[in-house]
Amino acid sequence: MGRLLNAAPGALALSLGLLLAAPQISRGGEFDLSLELRAISSDATATRLGGGLGKLRYDGDDAGLRLGYLRLGYRGDVTPTLRFAAEAVSYGDHDVNPIDLTEMYLDWRPIPVSAWRWRVKVGAFYPEISLENRMRGWRSPYTLSFSAINTWVGEELRTIGAEYSLDWLGLAHGHNFEFSSSVAAFGWNDPAGTVIGGRGWALHDRQSTLFGRFANRGQPLPELTVFYDDLDKRAGYTMSSSFRYRGLIELRGLHYDNRARLGVEAPKINDETWETYFDSLGARWTPSASWTLIAQWLHGRTLLDVPQPANAWSYNSHFLLVSNKQGRWRYSARYDKFFLEQTASNFAQYIGGIHLNERGHAWTLAAQRSFDAHWNATFEAIEVRSNVDQRALLGEPNAATERQLQLALRYER
Amino acid sequence: MLFLYVTACTVLAMPRLAQAAGELSVTVSSATGAAVEGAVIIAEPLHGTARLPTGQKAVMDQRNLMFVPEVLIVQTGTAVDFPNSDQVRHQVYSFSGAKKFELALYAGRPQAPVTFNHVGMVTLGCNIHDNMLGYIWVTDSPWYGQSNASGRLQLHDLAPGEYTLRIWHALLNESGPQLEQRINVPDNQVTAARFSLKRPLRAPMHNHGADKKWEDY
Repeated sequence: MGRLLNAAPGALALSLGLLLAAPQISRGGEFDLSLELRAISSDATATRLGGGLGKLRYDGDDAGLRLGYLRLGYRGDVTPTLRFAAEAVSYGDHDVNPIDLTEMYLDWRPIPVSAWRWRVKVGAFYPEISLENRMRGWRSPYTLSFSAINTWVGEELRTIGAEYSLDWLGLAHGHNFEFSSSVAAFGWNDPAGTVIGGRGWALHDRQSTLFGRFANRGQPLPELTVFYDDLDKRAGYTMSSSFRYRGLIELRGLHYDNRARLGVEAPKINDETWETYFDSLGARWTPSASWTLIAQWLHGRTLLDVPQPANAWSYNSHFLLVSNKQGRWRYSARYDKFFLEQTASNFAQYIGGIHLNERGHAWTLAAQRSFDAHWNATFEAIEVRSNVDQRALLGEPNAATERQLQLALRYER
Repeated sequence: MLFLYVTACTVLAMPRLAQAAGELSVTVSSATGAAVEGAVIIAEPLHGTARLPTGQKAVMDQRNLMFVPEVLIVQTGTAVDFPNSDQVRHQVYSFSGAKKFELALYAGRPQAPVTFNHVGMVTLGCNIHDNMLGYIWVTDSPWYGQSNASGRLQLHDLAPGEYTLRIWHALLNESGPQLEQRINVPDNQVTAARFSLKRPLRAPMHNHGADKKWEDY
């Protein structure tokens, strides 16, 4: 409760102010708001925000009542086909900004005049990679904690640039399927890889914000983590494709490369360029109105320092999520598996020969009850078993089992 | 006296003659014989013009990120209102030959109605929610409807004569002569017509995003 009360007032005041102003501003747009409070029980080791290598959002010190998040979304029109969107969020934790943006972009969608439709997004937004983050604010309707893959996407990745998409709207032409292809160029993502290389995988819903930074007190992460900065003046890119069959099946593939020029130092943020590239494949199957199955796989590499690469990591993860909706109830279960190997290190000799390697898996179970259009509650149990070599640096055993129970009460309007 | 009787009979029969009408009972079934619900059935008179209405109105709502009804059948000249019962904005458009139009983003308030003057099918989409699909069938004929849960539709007060009977379904997965019949509707009789589809209907789409908090990412 203490942390909630200490960190949240600024965010609460700002959000309430915006909410009160909403009727005036929202003539040309729409605001929506979400507030989530959580009761936490956790035996996890110290989290990244607490300077540790914990895999979950909350550790043992966080037991009690916490602010899950307070978010405010806005969608408005600049012209009939040009939409503006912004997402602001407060997590009530150590971030230097009590409330900050996770996304802000312009979305230009000309009206289709045939089965083909193109669209352009400019600003800061998520790449089209996740099939589980389907709610405004890039939240998951299935579980409180995201999969390992999408936790990392939420922590380190954002497209800050422009994305061009071409859609083939086959359904409206009597076909059973639709497909889309997108290509994006972005900057300000040169630190991407800092978290996956230093801490490894995790499972939580704490997204990084566009201007946020954390004061990390532990090794081996830098003392300050800035996620979105351009250090080398070289654009990265994503290429993605998706295929949809009557809204019942959706397949997605994405290639990401931040094309960072290795060895560019940035003392100001105590970091340097990390080159990160990966491939992701995902599938969502909705066999009936009540069942949803989602699977995703990601494999990538991150390089750091010259001579190239003085440090390199290879990592992969996959998950399977099953969800069933019965009236006001939704039940979800997910199994995650993750792996990270440091294939080159120029500092292992100084830390007892330790490479930053890990492997692990996690089970997540969640039950959600909707009370009305505004209120719902979610109970989630998660267990992560992992073997993380760098835990030795903190004097902890390499193997750990971390468990966390969360009961969340959410208000949406 | 006989003259009076004949005259009286003739006069009494006149309204009946003036209202000469037949009935049509149409049944639509699948290849396996199961009833097909929601099939659009239109009876178009082969000769003569149908009674064209004036000032007809209809409503195509947008609710829970769906068009409601999914299929609307209207006569040419009908003005269709597009209210938005959702709390999110929609941008309704059609690039169908029978009617090309777009309605700018709006929420809650209805725009000016759209008048449909040309016969044909109009496919509706939402430029923000690509999964939203709706259909408006525009016909000159006043004799149309959709099959019920038993796959049946009863059409009343048809002028006696030859008709082209057409069927269509939002989940139809076939084309061909099995979707059209020429039929004679005699006066004062119930004429039965039966359609049997050759292929199963397409799988229905599930509306998982019936919540304003859901968004395509």
